[in-house]
Parts: sequence; structure tokens; C-alpha cells
Amino acid sequence: MSNEHTVKSYEEELRYLIDSVIKMGSLTESQLVDSMDAVIKVDKDSIDKIIKSDDEINKFRSKIDTQIMTLLVKRAPMAIDLRETISSLKISQDLERIGDLSKSNAKKVKPLPLDLPEELLGNLKRLGDLVIKQLNDVLDSYVNKNYDKAKEVWEKDEQVDDLTYIAMESVIDFLSKDKKNLDFSTHLIFATKNLERAGDHITNIAESICFLIKGEYLKGSRPKGKVIEK
Amino acid sequence: MNEIKIKSKNLNVYYGEKQALFDVNLDLNEKEVTALIGPSGCGKSTFIRCINRMNDVIDICKVSGNIEIDGVEINDKNLDVVSLRERVGMVFQKPNPFPKSIYDNISYGPKIHGKGETKSELDEIVENSLKKAALWEEVKDRLDEPGTGLSGGQQQRLCIARAISVNPEVILMDEPCSALDPIATAKIEELIDELKKTYTIVIVTHSMAQAVRVSQKTGFFHLGKLIEVGKTEKIFKNPDNKMTQDYITGRFG
Repeated sequence: MSNEHTVKSYEEELRYLIDSVIKMGSLTESQLVDSMDAVIKVDKDSIDKIIKSDDEINKFRSKIDTQIMTLLVKRAPMAIDLRETISSLKISQDLERIGDLSKSNAKKVKPLPLDLPEELLGNLKRLGDLVIKQLNDVLDSYVNKNYDKAKEVWEKDEQVDDLTYIAMESVIDFLSKDKKNLDFSTHLIFATKNLERAGDHITNIAESICFLIKGEYLKGSRPKGKVIEK
Repeated sequence: MNEIKIKSKNLNVYYGEKQALFDVNLDLNEKEVTALIGPSGCGKSTFIRCINRMNDVIDICKVSGNIEIDGVEINDKNLDVVSLRERVGMVFQKPNPFPKSIYDNISYGPKIHGKGETKSELDEIVENSLKKAALWEEVKDRLDEPGTGLSGGQQQRLCIARAISVNPEVILMDEPCSALDPIATAKIEELIDELKKTYTIVIVTHSMAQAVRVSQKTGFFHLGKLIEVGKTEKIFKNPDNKMTQDYITGRFG
């Protein structure tokens, strides 16, 4: 935003909305980090905490919805303020979905054996680290209204696709070695897919940020990596 | 995009020493609504008053530059101002019906412009004008009652009917709803939407929401200069100029 509004309370309401999105983003990021940690360390004790933190994220979503409705009714925002409001709505939806995926991954820890081989988890961890970095970068670009950085995140999703493919292959390789691995391997496949979907939500957020800053959507289709359904 | 109906080129207006408009270049499209917005004193009303030469009545007012309607210069001293105002009607902020009957309010213009020579012709003009202004059903049984006895919203629609009665090509509206309640405003806006099928409309408004609702094109004035003009949707979603953005988002004004 540029100059301040003549109506101070309008300025405060917009600031409050943006702060809520930033806080929700930070909570979502922590939850994603925790759920990845739980998967990699097969830490069953942290599952409940992660599931609970999803409730907090959902509460933020409702709070942001209310703030947006109030802003629309009270202020009828225009131009940059309108885009700020609409983007907040979209970003909070994507953050909530990322929260759901993190929760889903935390739940998948329960059936995992404690002695998972390192080569199996290595690729999954690399994928998780990349998705966490993507989320961190996209939230940074939101805070600093940095168009180039948001676009960079959008383009980098190709790497998420590629790493998803690699992580998926290593699980399938492991599974093919011994059919008794089938049960928990399926959970790992879903966890991998969840990370890829979280990556997609992050690119949605990047698109919303680009729209917020320039008033137009990124042109062309996002670069895609290897397709896991192969 | 419709054809250009009105074209202003390097339009400058002075009230004595004070310059009110600076080199305004603005094209207004036929059968479209153009909204002019900007803080008080920015020149938007001065601009529309140039289109029907209302500024002629102000002694200290001087106009330079060009305004063309259908390619014909209207600042030409030899131009018949009465026939210009027949082509370019105007509706003001405060409804100003004549202290006459509803019927006479509408028939007055056609009479002085030599339209409607017989009573039945005038009756037809009155009925059609009131219908176009969406007022006929409300007043058809009391056409001989004073226009000033109507509600504010009805009076404004009466003024619109009066403007329409001489069959103009352009209707200028200077904050036509600022004295009206939301329902009366909604009726006028609905009417504007209908009228644009027939007339070229220029509306000055302080309500951003109204500009968005009624217009296809919006021009933003500030301190006598046209800062930005473009499609209404673009102006209110993503204006190019920072001043426009600051104004429509309530950051100055």
C-alpha cells in the first residue's frame, strides 16, 4: 500500500487483515515443518499436537473470512485495496488446504514402522524441505510484496514435481522388493502426493500475490515437472 | 467500442485569472455512459458545462481549445447555442422542476423548440418522455399537479423526462443522485442504464460505487487536469496512475 487512507480505521482494518494472513501463513509453515519432521523421524508422539494446530489454522480462516466480509460491506474497497482483500481470501483458502495436507501427513505416521530405511526417506525429506522452502519464500514475497520472488516460487514448482516423481519412485522400488511393505508404503505414497499438492497450493498463493501486486494474473501455464501418474 | 460522439482537444477554461481546466483531451463514446470523478473543484463539472456551453452565462469564464460533437466544433461563436442545448440536455444535482404542472414541465421544451405543434403531439411527447424516464405509471393520473409536489426522486426523473422531451443526443448529469435516497438513486441508475441505449451520457459523481455501476468509461480529474481515463473496470480494479489509485481508495481527496 502507498499513502495512508483518510479514514484511519479503514487503514487499520486492512492492516489487521494482512496481519491475520501473515500469522496464518506462519502457523501453516510451522505445522508443515512439524508434520515433515514427524514423518521423517517417525515421531508418533507429535501427531496429536499437529492435528490440534490444524484447528488453529481453521479458526484463522474463519476469522479472515469475517474480516473480509466486514471490509467489503463497510468500505467497498477499490483498486489495490480490492485486490488486497480478494487475495487475502484466496491465500487463506490455500493456506487452509496446506494445513489439511500437513494434518493428513501427520496421521500417516501412525502405521509407519520405526526402522524405515534411510534411502527411502531421503528423497521424501528432500521433497519436504523444498516444499517448506517454497512456502517460506511465498510468504516472504507476500510480506514484502515482492513480485519477482512470488514468480520465482511459481516457476520453481517444476522442481517440486520432479522431486515428487523421484520420491514416489523410491517408495515404489522399496515396495516392489517385499510385498509385506505394501501397507505402510501406501501411506508414504499418499504423503508424497500430499506434499506435491501442497506445492500446487503454494503456486496458487504465488499467483494471488502477483495478481495483488500488478493487477493481472501470470500469463501462460506454469512450468511442469515429471508427471507422477506415469 | 462505440464511435466517438464528443471530442475535447486541449480544452482550457479560465474563471477570470483562475484556470479551471488544463489541456483536457477526452473522447466520449456514443451511447455509452462516461463517469467523471475527482475531488471537489477538480474541474469535472466545468468540463461538462463546456459540452452545452453553460459556461457562456458566466461573464468571467473563458474557454479555449476545442470541443467537437460529431466532428463539429461547438465553441464556434456562430453556433446557435439554443439548438446546441436542444441536442445536449442537462440534469443537475438538485432536482429543479419548473413551478408548473407535471405536464407543462415536459411540454415546455418541445414548445419552445417548435416540436409538438398540436395538443395530441404534445400529449404524445409528454407520455413518451415520462415513460422513458420511468415516471409515467406514477404520475399519469395527475399530470396537472405541480411538479414540485413530487418526491425528490420523482422530481429528478421529471427533470430527466424534461431533458429527454426535446429528443437530445447527449445527456449531461451533474451529480444527479446526490440529493436522493438509495431507492430513488437505484431507480435513476436503472434509468441511466436504459437511456444509454439511445443517448450519450456523461455523469459527474462523487460516488465511486455509482461510477462503477453506471458507466463504461471513467475519467479522473484533479486540479483541473484529466489524470487518467479508461474503461471503468480497469480504473477501479487496476488504475495506471498512482493519483487515481490514491483517490479511489480514499487516500486523498
